[in-house]
Amino acid sequence: MKNKKTTAILFLLFFTATLLWSQTAEEIIRKVDEQQYFATMKTTGSMITNDRFGTKKVDYISWSEGNDNFIIEFTSAAERGQKILRTSDELFLYYPDAEEIIRLQGAALKQSMMGSDISYEDMTAGNDTLRQYDVELKGSETIDGKDCFVIQMTAKSRKVPYPAQTLWIEKETYVPEQVRYFSKSGKLLKEMRVLEVREMEGKVIISKMVLEDKLKKNSSTEMVLDEIEINPVLGRDFFSLDQLAW
Amino acid sequence: MTFLPRMAVKNLFRYGRRTIITASAIAFGIMCFILIDSLLKGLDEDSQRNLIWYETGSAGFFHPEYWEDRAMLPLDRPVDSSENLVAQLRARNVKAVSRIDFAGDMIVYKDPFPEDGNLQVKVTGIDVEHDSDVFRLKDNVASGRYLEAGEDGVLMGQWLAKDLGAEVGYPLTIVTRTFDGYFQTMDLEIVGILESDNPVVNRYGMYVPLDTVRYALDMDDYATGVYVSLPRDSREAAMLAELQPLAADAGLDLLDWRILGADYVDLAAAKRSGSSSVLFLVFLIAAVGISNTILMSVFERIRELGMMRAMGMKNKSIRNLFLMEAAGIGFTGSLGGVILGALVNLFLVNKGIDYSETMESGDMGYRISAIAYGTWDPTTFITAFVIGTVMAVLVAWLPTRRALKLDIPVCLRYN
Repeated sequence: MKNKKTTAILFLLFFTATLLWSQTAEEIIRKVDEQQYFATMKTTGSMITNDRFGTKKVDYISWSEGNDNFIIEFTSAAERGQKILRTSDELFLYYPDAEEIIRLQGAALKQSMMGSDISYEDMTAGNDTLRQYDVELKGSETIDGKDCFVIQMTAKSRKVPYPAQTLWIEKETYVPEQVRYFSKSGKLLKEMRVLEVREMEGKVIISKMVLEDKLKKNSSTEMVLDEIEINPVLGRDFFSLDQLAW
Repeated sequence: MTFLPRMAVKNLFRYGRRTIITASAIAFGIMCFILIDSLLKGLDEDSQRNLIWYETGSAGFFHPEYWEDRAMLPLDRPVDSSENLVAQLRARNVKAVSRIDFAGDMIVYKDPFPEDGNLQVKVTGIDVEHDSDVFRLKDNVASGRYLEAGEDGVLMGQWLAKDLGAEVGYPLTIVTRTFDGYFQTMDLEIVGILESDNPVVNRYGMYVPLDTVRYALDMDDYATGVYVSLPRDSREAAMLAELQPLAADAGLDLLDWRILGADYVDLAAAKRSGSSSVLFLVFLIAAVGISNTILMSVFERIRELGMMRAMGMKNKSIRNLFLMEAAGIGFTGSLGGVILGALVNLFLVNKGIDYSETMESGDMGYRISAIAYGTWDPTTFITAFVIGTVMAVLVAWLPTRRALKLDIPVCLRYN
């Protein structure tokens, strides 16, 4: 009887493990995207850039709606009032001193945002990962004591900057604990690591992460979310050019 | 009839010392005018030549939307089938070559470099075999060697190498984007250091084999520009006009070096107006010197002038006498200035002035990296000579007129 119970438990464990293992890479990525999706969201935080010239901190407030619409307003003294609006296919900058809205396109999108390791183009990447990348489950690895899926992503869209990425996704929370970005020739360019997460409304949100430039010595950008508000009410034209210049 | 001219000549010899001093002042002014004009024109000519030899060629074929955004070095507006276009141009006996200009972040590491660092750079992919048909880089490798096709090598300008502490054999990485916009890295080794006459090459130059660039950036047969070399004379305009239909058929723009080097051309135009101001100042200083000495020579002789009037000589004759003397001084001084100017200009044209330290430490806009040479311009010599002579007469006119208005007793008592 006891043997039968043990066998049943072992079978259940094996079955669960197999079920987990049998998740396809697509399913895992879909869950990751779902984890990051909110109808609306407001966050207050800061972006800390470290490079050979020193450390620079830029505070901001951001609002987002789904995967497409996003506004970030910088609140630090030096950048106060500067805003970036991202819609489904366009990106605009607003400079209060010049009272001017600039549409970024082409090569301009490749420039660094506020001297960080993040480009404007990085901001245009939505959460429709599977439309942009072919994904492949390479196995499991432990990162900082967390059991993670290892997913290899290869670009199939020409609208993304990174031709290849490797993601370590925590099996329990579907948070990408670590992401490595590679150049077309296969050289490691950047590495993103999650430092802190916060659980809100049944989802795990990344509240602190660091993006390191692996080619430049001592160059990294830390993103810290101090306050997070899920599903705030935003006006109908909140993500419009009028709102940007307001 | 010849009385006045003979008397004027006699007076010039009689007051020999004053004649020499006044003529020397004129000669010095004229010489300065000639030399500064020669140097400025030489800088302009050499800059123009170096712009064409190292940066723009005589003209280039570009995608119609490339030029307005050229500062961003976009790869997504290329010349398609660039090698086909090059072949068509060569069939017409026009020297042509493809190039790819792209932006990148150059990353260097401590050991072998003195320190870690990164720098935004413009890199140019050059056709190793044929680039020298249009451009002159091949003759300017100061250390190391020229590029070989297909290698992961880079030629670097000497001032850039000096700033980075780079030497031949040092490795570096360029982070850039492919034609499609993907991040790409190119690990390159410095195979040669360039020392050219063009400061842009020395300060910013980074050159990689075209086939290496095409492979890394997925550019296939594309180029950002196809450049041509045309004779630098009156045939240039006619040949450009002949090439326009070819550009139109290929849906491309054909832009000549005046447009490709617009930054320099505009700067040169601005500098030319500045140079005119400098020349005007030199001219003014010379004019003040000449008028001062002529003025003195007239005022010194007011008693003599009074005596001539007392003896019955007509004002008109006296005025003519003084003006002839001034013309004589002007002629002698201008002739001396032209001869001196020619002698010193001989040195300027053949040896030049070494500006290498000034050019290296700051960007003056001229495309001269070391020695500024003068040039021969007969018009300047003739102009300087005529102006020197005429001005001497003009500046003698007023004091003579004023002296002739004085009463004879006042003239005779004049100190």
